[in-house]
Amino acid sequence: MARQRLVQGFLLHLALTAGVALFTLPLLWMVIAATLPDSELFAYPPRIVPGEWFGRNLEALQRTVGFSRVLLNSVSIAVIYTAASVFLCTMGGYAFAKYRFRGREVLFLGIVATLTIPTYVTLLPQFILITRLGLIDTYWAVVLPTVANALGIFLMRQNMHVVPDDLIESARIDGAGEFQIFWSVALPILRPALAALGIILFLFQWNDYLWPLIVLRSQEAFTVPVALGRLVGLTRVAYGGIMVGTVIATAPFLIVFLFLQRYFVAGITGGAVKQ
Amino acid sequence: MKRFLIPIVVLLVAGAAVAVYFLTRPAPVTEVVVWSWDVAATGLQQQVASFEADPANANIKIRVEDLGNQQVYDQGIAGCVAGGAGMPDVYSVENNEAEVFWARFPECFADLAPLGAAALRADFPEFKWAELTVGDRIHAIPWDSGPVVYFYRRDMFEQASVDPAQIATWGDLITAGNLVKTEVGTNVRMGTINKGGDDEWFRMLANQADCFYFDDAGREVTVNQGGCVIALQTIKSLWDAQVLAPGDWTGQIQLIKNDAVAGALFGAWYAGTLQNEAPEQSGQWGVIRVPSLTQGGVRAANLGGSALAIPASSEKKEAAFAFIRHALATTPGQIRMLECCGLVPSYLPATRAPEASAPVAYFGGQPIWELVLSTLGDVPPVRGSQHFQVAREIMVAIVSDYLDGNFESAQQALNEAATRISAATTLPVAMDLPAGDDSGDAESGENSRN
Amino acid sequence: MTPIRAPAAGWNRWLALVPYGFLAPFLLGFAAFWVWPILYSLYLSFADWTGGVTTWVGTRNYERLVTDPIFRQALRNTLLILGLQVPLMITLALLLALALNSTMLRLRALYRFGFFAPLVVGTVSYAAIFRLIFNDQFGILNAGLRVAGLDPVAWLFTPGPAQAVIIIGLTWRWTGYNAIILLAGLQTISRDLYEASAIDGATGWRQTWHITLPLLRPAILFCVVLSVIGTMQLFTEPAILTAGGPANATLTLGLYLYRRAFQSADFGYASAIAYAVALITIVFSLIQFRLFQGARN
Repeated sequence: MARQRLVQGFLLHLALTAGVALFTLPLLWMVIAATLPDSELFAYPPRIVPGEWFGRNLEALQRTVGFSRVLLNSVSIAVIYTAASVFLCTMGGYAFAKYRFRGREVLFLGIVATLTIPTYVTLLPQFILITRLGLIDTYWAVVLPTVANALGIFLMRQNMHVVPDDLIESARIDGAGEFQIFWSVALPILRPALAALGIILFLFQWNDYLWPLIVLRSQEAFTVPVALGRLVGLTRVAYGGIMVGTVIATAPFLIVFLFLQRYFVAGITGGAVKQ
Repeated sequence: MKRFLIPIVVLLVAGAAVAVYFLTRPAPVTEVVVWSWDVAATGLQQQVASFEADPANANIKIRVEDLGNQQVYDQGIAGCVAGGAGMPDVYSVENNEAEVFWARFPECFADLAPLGAAALRADFPEFKWAELTVGDRIHAIPWDSGPVVYFYRRDMFEQASVDPAQIATWGDLITAGNLVKTEVGTNVRMGTINKGGDDEWFRMLANQADCFYFDDAGREVTVNQGGCVIALQTIKSLWDAQVLAPGDWTGQIQLIKNDAVAGALFGAWYAGTLQNEAPEQSGQWGVIRVPSLTQGGVRAANLGGSALAIPASSEKKEAAFAFIRHALATTPGQIRMLECCGLVPSYLPATRAPEASAPVAYFGGQPIWELVLSTLGDVPPVRGSQHFQVAREIMVAIVSDYLDGNFESAQQALNEAATRISAATTLPVAMDLPAGDDSGDAESGENSRN
Repeated sequence: MTPIRAPAAGWNRWLALVPYGFLAPFLLGFAAFWVWPILYSLYLSFADWTGGVTTWVGTRNYERLVTDPIFRQALRNTLLILGLQVPLMITLALLLALALNSTMLRLRALYRFGFFAPLVVGTVSYAAIFRLIFNDQFGILNAGLRVAGLDPVAWLFTPGPAQAVIIIGLTWRWTGYNAIILLAGLQTISRDLYEASAIDGATGWRQTWHITLPLLRPAILFCVVLSVIGTMQLFTEPAILTAGGPANATLTLGLYLYRRAFQSADFGYASAIAYAVALITIVFSLIQFRLFQGARN
């Protein structure tokens, strides 16, 4: 029996290791491709040893799309968006979970129901609205449309149970204002959930392609996906540049993820499993 | 009095400084922003120096931005939706795609007639104006055209003992292709076709046969008529004879650089691409007229070609038009763009310039532009209309399916195409034709030209 | 719900308004950027949009949609990708979750990291790298095939393989994500259940089949619903990897909508497409919920 377990364990690790290797192979290739000039990427037989072109590819990337500015845009937009959205959604989730008011369930259901509607339905009107407001080519064009999102408010309501009602009640008796209770009592307890939601939203905004593609016009305003997407032309794909840009844009996340896995997981599963 | 001395002195000095500042400040500079792509952008960039040097254009600065073909189009659409926000002062647009703008955004681009375009009408061939004007409104000035020619590798043809002067029809090309396969290499082809990615070959050959997706008024679907059928059949015979290699734009360049193809069929502007991408093959290329579909048939077609328009939201329309006129409606301007970048003039006076018959080193000293320009008059005019994209999407799939053998005949394939295009655009099919088979009826093809 | 011991009637009234205060910013943004667009889009789908002028045309756009051969192709492609990719990915995710949950496993965090990493890479980037890997002349995949003595496949030039590339890409990207959701679900299943059934003689796979899977159903449903919604709207991968080709084989509904909206500027028609997709998605979601309800008994 013990031997059987040993064999099973070995096979398990073998399978998983093979799986991980398969899954991370494209990423490895990405890193290698970032160090090669485009001509060698198309060489046959293909090179699998890293080259020395990382610096030059980076320089070309900076030259063609102004990558440092693009990175700044992405970071700024993602930070502003995440802060605003987490705040809005947490307030909303708090309201739904901790108060009773007329139309509470209907309103919540209505909001969550929009999750089944594809975002494409809203694409054109949002675009028209943003242009009428004169916000094209600004950070706000990217931040505003999804700052009030149904998923966020859903997850936050799910997580509200960690804030005990008694605590709220006693704060009230002590004479604290409602917002004060929210800010000083509820938020600190919610920190893990806030972090989880924040990570999800940040990642989403960081990688969003279609919407920024539509509303960002000038190169100075591009975010990372849009700038990299521009390198994928019909006639020419600047692979070196894309890979370098990706490595730079992704590496921080991978490192952060390595240390903050718990929060990622908590965020994803926040409202997923109700027992 | 002494109390005021210092304040007065300060005021005088300040006043003097302000006066000096205003008097010596350079006049405000008008910056004209131009959007274009690749070779075309390079061509326009070449015009900037001569334009800015002209004293009549003092204080006008031209900034050419190379955004890439797709990007310029996408951002043009988005800009027009936004009522003109973020648009440049000069906008490059391909003839094929221009009609989408005039049809869906009638107010987005300025009428160039009052700015001076009306006076230029006679200087460009009428077939260029068709897609750029709506009634009396001139939306854009014709820039270059894309007369189709067949590029070939002199060294490979010599090796296979193929005389390019003897190639008159596509059948002749197949024969030559077989010779090349025997003498040069079994994998060497005579051209590249972007099967499944685009339908350029169909558009070029159909144009030769005076047939296209829609009729000249852009109101009916004509893709299943005689000329188009012959065009499609010819492509199939080339494909079946294994004389064409599959490949997209990048793929074709790779094939060329790897000596895997002995020729290429494209608009004459491809000469610029060849020189850029394969400079090491200088002297080894030549050009002949596009082989005809039938004995003694038309040996000319057009693929591509662009124009320049001015968005209505531009605040520098006069300056913009001055630049457009300088680049497009002057012989030196068009010749410069021809020489540097292979952009074939459609400006009629330029086509008669002596520089147009200069020998070109990359092509072994052959005066290719003379040949290219000589085909301009023979190009049958055809029209893409605002539904060009939709029709193209459908044709790409049909051509690919037909080459794979999924249709019994070209007529059947094109009947299917016509039905689909009609359903997708709500335009009626002009003629319902029986499916028949591919026994190839050259006579009826010639006669059914409309 | 917090029982409120209000000292006065005015306090009660104030308290009733507070939740609205908390919700106001959210609702404002939501109404402006979700509710209004959803309604306006519905209106647009019954209209023609030209140069900023909208004219009511009734059901003309929908009639055109029904006969539009390109829409049908896009629908076919999307459903094909959906039908193959979602089950494949969920199955893999399930196996992965079971593996990660195994008591025999060391270095769980490392494995989890490896499978989750694809998610962090942007869609544009991973589409580009896959395009490189599957390049038929110079890609390392075909190189590997040649080394193994097999024929190289013209991945992006043949319809079937091109669709396969999209499916492989999506699976690569999202399996880890779904596995983590399922893993969390697995970890909430009490060990007592397994011990109890072990006493009754059940082992390994039987345990999995009769205990794990039924209890995991809510999580699996969640994953499936999310995946279906996401795949119905698929845009970036076909746009960057295959440009909808070859011969429209990987043209998805999302890409088709983008083209009609932003290439042909046919906003009325594009809105009709969007609503048609929305309708289909909602129907799918309802069907899945129904199946879940039914199976629960």
